[in-house]
Amino acid sequence: MAREHGTVRPRRLTVVLAEWCPHCVPLSVRKGRQLARRLGVPFRTLDIDRRAQEKVADRFVREHGDASPDYLIPQVFLEWSDGEIQHLLTGFSEQVARTARAWDDLLGSAWLRSLPKEGRR
Amino acid sequence: MKRRATLPPAVRAALRSPGGKCYRHCDRPIRIRSVSSRLPGTWKVRACPSGVVSVTTYTEWTRDDPTPKVRDVLRRWTVPSSLVRLWDLRIATRHGPELGRGAERALRAVRPTRGVRVVYWRVYPFRARDGTERRLFVCQRRNHPSPVFFAASPGAKKWGCPVCARRPSAR
Repeated sequence: MAREHGTVRPRRLTVVLAEWCPHCVPLSVRKGRQLARRLGVPFRTLDIDRRAQEKVADRFVREHGDASPDYLIPQVFLEWSDGEIQHLLTGFSEQVARTARAWDDLLGSAWLRSLPKEGRR
Repeated sequence: MKRRATLPPAVRAALRSPGGKCYRHCDRPIRIRSVSSRLPGTWKVRACPSGVVSVTTYTEWTRDDPTPKVRDVLRRWTVPSSLVRLWDLRIATRHGPELGRGAERALRAVRPTRGVRVVYWRVYPFRARDGTERRLFVCQRRNHPSPVFFAASPGAKKWGCPVCARRPSAR
């Protein structure tokens, strides 16, 4: 997760999800928006059940995330101004409450506080 | 055998996920049992008191994807081994910031950085050729050298562990 910030800024937050997944909707949409607001970047979702979005989602997961033939969702990615795509979080398959705790920990993390202030509102 | 990379206590604590109920079966509380194997990581089996498995996890502190070796071990533990399909194995990486401050600090202090990889094995209920519903069970009796995973119909009157022939006990 470590990354030198310097002049590099967060650009967009993406959550790969599905409407039927209780770890995703509404939990990860709400928390994702919250994180994007803190970072001062646009937020988007990629729904694996919508063909056009699925292709992008598959590419993100395959190239930057936790790839399995039937991969876990949600998966959260932060795009940076230098083009790097950083995987931040994968849902906890054990239970929805554990994924919720992971989101809360991410939002309260030292990593988030360490990001350049210009990148945050 | 690889040397075991011991996770810092803060990370181990953060990865614990107690609680939960047996999903769409009996609604009773899940019990979590540790299992040992020759692999360097740790196994947890989450099952209800009747032995119906919710999910089995394998956790290792590594940069590699442990899925192939997890599949091999699970195939040795499962009757028939064809129940273990790559499709049902899913990997997750835990980086640190999503694990709470103590775990984040502990993982950040290690150089070179490496995430914690968790492989989940979840077999959803399925229909057998006769149309009956099958679920994944585990028998963890003390006389078994390792857990025995098998599929059975929870509603059937006659079934049992394929090794000891008794109804499973998650103890």
